[in-house]
Amino acid sequence: MKKKNFFSRIGGWIRRIFFGGSRELAKSVDVEEVVTPFQQIVRNFFERKLAVGALCVVISMFLLVFIGPLFMPRYYDSYTEVTQKNVAPTMSMLKVPSELKNDVKMIDSYGSFSVGLSNAGKVYVWGATQLGTTGINIADIPEAVKNDKIAYVAAGIDHIIAISEAGKVYGWGSNKHGQYITTDKEVLEMLEEAEESVSEEEAALLENAGVSADDVEGEESAEKASDEENAEETSEETEEAAELNKAVATGENIIPMPDELVTGTIDVANIKKLVCGYQCTAILMNDGKLYIWGNTNAYQNINSFVDKEGLIDIDFTLNYVVGVTEQATSIYTGKRGLYDQYRSNINKAAKASKKYLKGRKIVSIYATNNHICGLLDDGKLFFAGNFPADSVAMPKLNKGETIVQLSAGTYHYTALTSEGRVFSWGGSTLGQTDVPDNVTGQTAKIFTGSFQSYAVDANNAVVGKWGLKGYIFGTDGYGADIFQRIIQGGKMTMTIGAVAVIISTIIGIIIGCLSGYFGGAVDIILMRVAEMFSAIPFLPFALILSAIMAQMDISEDKKIFILMCILGVLTWTGLARMVRGQVLVARENEYVTAAKAMGVREGRIAFRHILPNIVSIIFVTLTLDFATCMLTESSLSYLGFGVTYPRPTWGNMLNGANNSTIIKNYWWQWVFTSIFLAVTCICINIVGDTLRDVMDPKSDRDK
Amino acid sequence: MGKYILKRIGYMIAVLIVLSFVLFLIYNLVPNNRAYTDAKAEMMTQKTRLRNATQEEKDRMFDDLYVEYQRKYGTDTKNIAVKYLRWVGLMPNYYGKYSGLLQGDFGYSYELKNDVVEVVKEPMKNTVFINIFATILALGITIPLGIVCAVKKGSKGDQVMQVVTIIGYSLPSFVTAILFVWIFCSLLGWFPPSGMKTPGSNYTGWKWFTDRMYYMILPLITMTFCSLGSMTRYVRASMIDALSLDCIRTARAKGVTEKAVIYSHAWRNALIPIVTLVVGWFLGIFGGSLMFENIFGINGMGKLMIQSLRTQDFDVVVLLQLFYVAISLIGNLIIDIVYGLVDPRVRVSA
Repeated sequence: MKKKNFFSRIGGWIRRIFFGGSRELAKSVDVEEVVTPFQQIVRNFFERKLAVGALCVVISMFLLVFIGPLFMPRYYDSYTEVTQKNVAPTMSMLKVPSELKNDVKMIDSYGSFSVGLSNAGKVYVWGATQLGTTGINIADIPEAVKNDKIAYVAAGIDHIIAISEAGKVYGWGSNKHGQYITTDKEVLEMLEEAEESVSEEEAALLENAGVSADDVEGEESAEKASDEENAEETSEETEEAAELNKAVATGENIIPMPDELVTGTIDVANIKKLVCGYQCTAILMNDGKLYIWGNTNAYQNINSFVDKEGLIDIDFTLNYVVGVTEQATSIYTGKRGLYDQYRSNINKAAKASKKYLKGRKIVSIYATNNHICGLLDDGKLFFAGNFPADSVAMPKLNKGETIVQLSAGTYHYTALTSEGRVFSWGGSTLGQTDVPDNVTGQTAKIFTGSFQSYAVDANNAVVGKWGLKGYIFGTDGYGADIFQRIIQGGKMTMTIGAVAVIISTIIGIIIGCLSGYFGGAVDIILMRVAEMFSAIPFLPFALILSAIMAQMDISEDKKIFILMCILGVLTWTGLARMVRGQVLVARENEYVTAAKAMGVREGRIAFRHILPNIVSIIFVTLTLDFATCMLTESSLSYLGFGVTYPRPTWGNMLNGANNSTIIKNYWWQWVFTSIFLAVTCICINIVGDTLRDVMDPKSDRDK
Repeated sequence: MGKYILKRIGYMIAVLIVLSFVLFLIYNLVPNNRAYTDAKAEMMTQKTRLRNATQEEKDRMFDDLYVEYQRKYGTDTKNIAVKYLRWVGLMPNYYGKYSGLLQGDFGYSYELKNDVVEVVKEPMKNTVFINIFATILALGITIPLGIVCAVKKGSKGDQVMQVVTIIGYSLPSFVTAILFVWIFCSLLGWFPPSGMKTPGSNYTGWKWFTDRMYYMILPLITMTFCSLGSMTRYVRASMIDALSLDCIRTARAKGVTEKAVIYSHAWRNALIPIVTLVVGWFLGIFGGSLMFENIFGINGMGKLMIQSLRTQDFDVVVLLQLFYVAISLIGNLIIDIVYGLVDPRVRVSA
């Protein structure tokens, strides 16, 4: 009881220090409570629920964009990832279907989706399965595949290849670039439907966007093929369709899928490896025979692998096909000088391949997008290629510990050692290397693809999965996480808005005070200058200035600062006029007369005596101008002036959303950014408007 | 009144001169040397004749040409004032010829290979066309809406409109445009997302008009929607002020019908600020349509401006900028005159 008294007394002191003692006095002495105008304003403001809500939203936005970046140490502006372009919002990239969870035979992925195979021969697909503008959903597994028992499966960027135990090769997903050829009616129908969903006009837009005319023609003939097929369902027709379909795939820059795989079967027992690249697929047989097909634009050296015999391993980096020949003394690429510098770990110096190997042989290779890890016959590893700055080096193995299994994702490797430990190393930008603790000792097999890793125990059950879960707001056309860019962009947008508003407020206050207080010639000249500035058409003028600035040879930071100044200098006139008006009113007050009588200097009166009395009105204008400056910056950046890529702002993140194809198919690229921008602006405006309302005693009377 | 107008016109010309000088300075900042470009082009045409000439001869010839062109365009001096006067057309160039803005020489578009005036003609027509339509539409909606909101102040409908309008004017115009394209083109498929006319068509007369309108409807809807928010709020605010005047109370006391009170007494008083706003806003819409023209692919001045800025075709940019400045100044003049007309105090004090 005593304690509580003590605390309440302390509380009372603190309250009195900050808020004055009037309330307590009013309680004890029974006089009317004294409320300063400022307190009245605050009280009135908090009576309006909408405004309080808006204020909360604004504050949380501020906190989000200014504190959020501290939690993103791996973020950088120019981040691009070609395999993660235009991924729809999803958090299911690690969500192994429950049917598969305890019966995993293999898991593979290359881009935004993963494909898994159970020991029962069933295929499962998860992740971001909607394939952009093609209108195809890769998770629609064809009936033929569902009914067959599948032995091998592999995923490319937009296609899946599956081989049944009987040796039939299935393909589904996009086949615009010859990823597969199929006679399966269902797949053809699916392609046709997808084709229809992408309307003609959008196809035209796509063409503009860089898809060559050949592709469009190819699609047309594919459509024709499917049409004919639908007309009469005889086997003859199907064959004809297959012919036409093949014609599509034999177009320019395409190596077609071998005939014997399209119509015949493959010797399953003899398959050594099935691997998919960007838009290519390779099947390596035990006898060294290689089937390889797909888009030659994706792989510059793919032609050196056609009809290549005697390979013992093959894999795809982003731009090259890499293999190991029977000599096993170097990585075969069909090009000289590629991947012939080896190193023992990512952070070690590289040596020429011959010097490094010293007679040891390469057993197998595992390729990420830009570097390769190989296993030597003495159990050691070597690395070749370029390693990005964020690469984590391979951890040291214990003495006598060897690598049992190794697997490569887009930038990272995961390995299982003889002691049952699991490591991930290499690229770490998307959390690929954060291995959970519980997998050690339990893991029997590991599977790695794109940015995910899975650890599977001896009973084929998934015991651990780590890596990229997905993108809550999807990715943009460069493969960057939109959520992260929204936060970083918000920081930029709000900083520009705030600095511009501060500049405009300083100019506005100084000019307004001077002109209002001194009047006469000063007033006339300053107001004419203000009118001149307000006669400048705002957006066109800001455009021309930032266009000129863009040509100047100055650093990006300076450009952004100049942009803030441009915005500030073009927006001060409204505030100056208002301050002038307020000063004109305030000048006639008694306290000014008193100050004059006491001999205070005129400048001091204007800035020290009058200004504090009009500060609340300035604050309202500041709030509303802040929203305006943010909008202007966004408009400029949206048009491609102002802040430019790779630096994100909410304006230039919407830059891509200027044709109906993107607006419709990649809705997440504009919806979330627009919501953030719009909500922030709306809330700031609501706060400003409410402030103006509660400060104006006249409007108070009206209500 | 005449004196007042004269005074305003004089002031407008002063501002125009200052602004054109500022524009000229900006224009000079641009790395754009017309004489150099033309001299280079001339050298290219003379290529066959110069096949046997030495490098030195070539250089000499180029220098001569360069000086000649500089004299022609009036840039053969370092004095910025002289350059400016020549650009405006108040001072003769080296050959004693006046060729500046006043003589109608606005420059040449290297990108579109035509005189700037010719380049600007068609887009200007389109811009004026669409802006006038948008203005009529917006005024037709906002004024009645604002009046109704003011009369029924505090009602449910008014409160809803308050929120809707605040959203309307806070939404960036391009976000609204993206949203509308998504709704009306992608989801509903009612309107084409961009363009001016059906590709490949060559309609005339009524058919041309309907086709044009079909393509213009979505931009018009968007432009109207974007201006609804602020206009409605403004009309509502000035109408509320007018309704609280003493004369309204008197009129009501006298038993004038409510309709007459609102539309005759109050509306006339509310009109004073609204008229100013309408003029100013009509001018602002020219700058604002820059955004919409780019989004909807309308061949207007805004699109031309962005295109010219991208291709660094600065002669076009400067003319467009001058146009925007002129529009804005004329707008200010009209506002001043209208102010003077409706509010006698202004012209007395001026």
